[in-house]
Amino acid sequence: MNGKTLRSTYPAPLGWIGNLLRALALVALNLLIAVAIGRTADDSAQKIEGGKRLFRERCGYCHLAGGTGTIMLARRLGKDRSLLEERRDLNAEYVKKITRVGINGMPPHNRIEVPDRELDLIAIYLTRPVSARAADTTRSKGSAP
Amino acid sequence: MRSILPPRVTEHTFQRALNGFAGVVGKEWVLATEEDRETFMDYYAAGDADLHVPSAAVGPQSVEEVQAIVRIANEYRVPLWPVSRGKNLGYGAAAPCMTGTVVLDLGRMNRILDVNERFGYCLIEPGVGFFDLFNHLQTNKIKLWMSIPANAWGSVVGNALERGYGYTPYGENTRNICGLEVVLPNGEVLRTGNGAMSNSSSWQLFKYGYGPSWDQLFCQSNFGIVTKMGMWLMPEPEATLGLNIQLPHPDDVGWAVDELAPLRLKGVIEQSPSIGNSLRFVASATQRSQWYQGNGALPDDVLAEILKKNNLGWWTINLRLYGYDEVNEAHARIIKDAFAKHMKQEIQAVKWHRGEPIDNSGAGIPATTALQIINWRGGRGGHIGFSPILPATSEHVLKQFHNTKKRYEEIGVDYYGSFTLFERYTTNVNMMVYDRDDTAMTSKVRALFKVLIADAAKEGYSEYRTHISYMDDVALTFDFNHHALLRLNETLKDALDPNGILAPGKQGIWPRALRTERA
Repeated sequence: MNGKTLRSTYPAPLGWIGNLLRALALVALNLLIAVAIGRTADDSAQKIEGGKRLFRERCGYCHLAGGTGTIMLARRLGKDRSLLEERRDLNAEYVKKITRVGINGMPPHNRIEVPDRELDLIAIYLTRPVSARAADTTRSKGSAP
Repeated sequence: MRSILPPRVTEHTFQRALNGFAGVVGKEWVLATEEDRETFMDYYAAGDADLHVPSAAVGPQSVEEVQAIVRIANEYRVPLWPVSRGKNLGYGAAAPCMTGTVVLDLGRMNRILDVNERFGYCLIEPGVGFFDLFNHLQTNKIKLWMSIPANAWGSVVGNALERGYGYTPYGENTRNICGLEVVLPNGEVLRTGNGAMSNSSSWQLFKYGYGPSWDQLFCQSNFGIVTKMGMWLMPEPEATLGLNIQLPHPDDVGWAVDELAPLRLKGVIEQSPSIGNSLRFVASATQRSQWYQGNGALPDDVLAEILKKNNLGWWTINLRLYGYDEVNEAHARIIKDAFAKHMKQEIQAVKWHRGEPIDNSGAGIPATTALQIINWRGGRGGHIGFSPILPATSEHVLKQFHNTKKRYEEIGVDYYGSFTLFERYTTNVNMMVYDRDDTAMTSKVRALFKVLIADAAKEGYSEYRTHISYMDDVALTFDFNHHALLRLNETLKDALDPNGILAPGKQGIWPRALRTERA
């Protein structure tokens, strides 16, 4: 959306005052959009950050460098796919399902130790977009606590 | 959706109880879908998870909520199975003994209420995991060390109540319990020991209180729900000295026990050294098919070849001395001299001094890597532990070792055992590692378990802890005077829990109304 499109669609009925009002309205609208986009970006950055913290807290026992989950995944899928934080092929629904039902040696996790809202954030973190990964300088530096 | 109900309880009554629980903890913390139920089942079970299906789970966050839940459970006769974090892997995890029992998951009660460095203790809630307490001590630079079991995912409180152990001089976790807060089956809350005095200044200092001492009555029992536990922690030592000893031959475990046990009794060795068959290291790092494709237990010659390639003896002893450097040195010399009588190999020592990184210090550092062994067989692995107590002598240890190994070979499972030496006895943990989807194998494992209980009982060996499927079998081996101890436990059970709502069947103790459920 831009000013040009608006101007051509709605010709000025009120002379310069109308133009001024329209310009002000446009500025306000653009500001609103910018704030909304910014908020979404903040929101998702916050969710990714929250998910990262929860992942390390709840899953870090086994899924950081040197952890038992990492070792098991390296054996099954190869070393380059063993650290969940570095994976780019994970899908949020898959992450959530596996957490709840378990897989191979990994037991299931119930909704008391990892409530749904926390699992949602963990899944958001593990499936975060490439743009969020570039900013994440600490990734894969963790080790099993 | 399949309905699972406790015995004696109708669907309607059960729903009313669940609504009551939700009124206490909020709907979010009452879990009763089929998927929820499965998350509380025994994931590693040897084919018998269906015998222990919970009907639901409820997760309180405070002692008041626990009390309210217990009162509702009494009202509707709905049984509860308390778990601290539910990670009792190899012994049933979070699953209840009796199908239909509601899991009371205390994982949300996870506060570290007090840590006292001067007197070396902590006061914690059941949801506190080994990692949580460890991180708390590290972050706050508190110079106290923990004793940590092989798999550290679980609860500090749960492990101590089940009499689990670690490998520092404070290894016997149940011995370090000092003061409990407990919700009784009628919903009343009490504090044991000196905590019974409301302004006590020594709840975590003096264990016994005044009159009968109750802490151990709430261990491996169904007499109350522990909501707080005091636990002694070990002051960080000035130095440690570790000895890694490889015993070349299977029968060496005999003389090793005879040499080590007196040193353990005298306090030359203050921690509990574990003598484990070295296959555990190979099983953690590799899979069986890499070494052997045949059926049946690993033949002795194949095993010998594997150990040789990995530069391992038949047994590995991890032994650690804690304290002042000079004392550790002197004690190490005594131990080395004892071993020199039997073997030529030089024993390597690893030293640590205060201020150095603790990675190789012998401090309890939580990890979950011990779980790797369940991949040994391939497929979806599982494990179960058979853990008898024997007198710490070569005669008993060798007899038990050879019998267990022979029994394992009869059903084609690889022997995997360890002897951990305490002052007077040894705890012999035998792991059975299997592919959960191989039903022929899991049914043999279940049969083997019963045979091992019977074999041990014949020799006068009792289990220190057992899986939920064998709680009655083991309880019945305590048979002196027509099971007088079990009868006392059940007399107490009926007095404290007349409605039989707390953990029916735990350790073979059944409330009157449910004794027909005994296996």
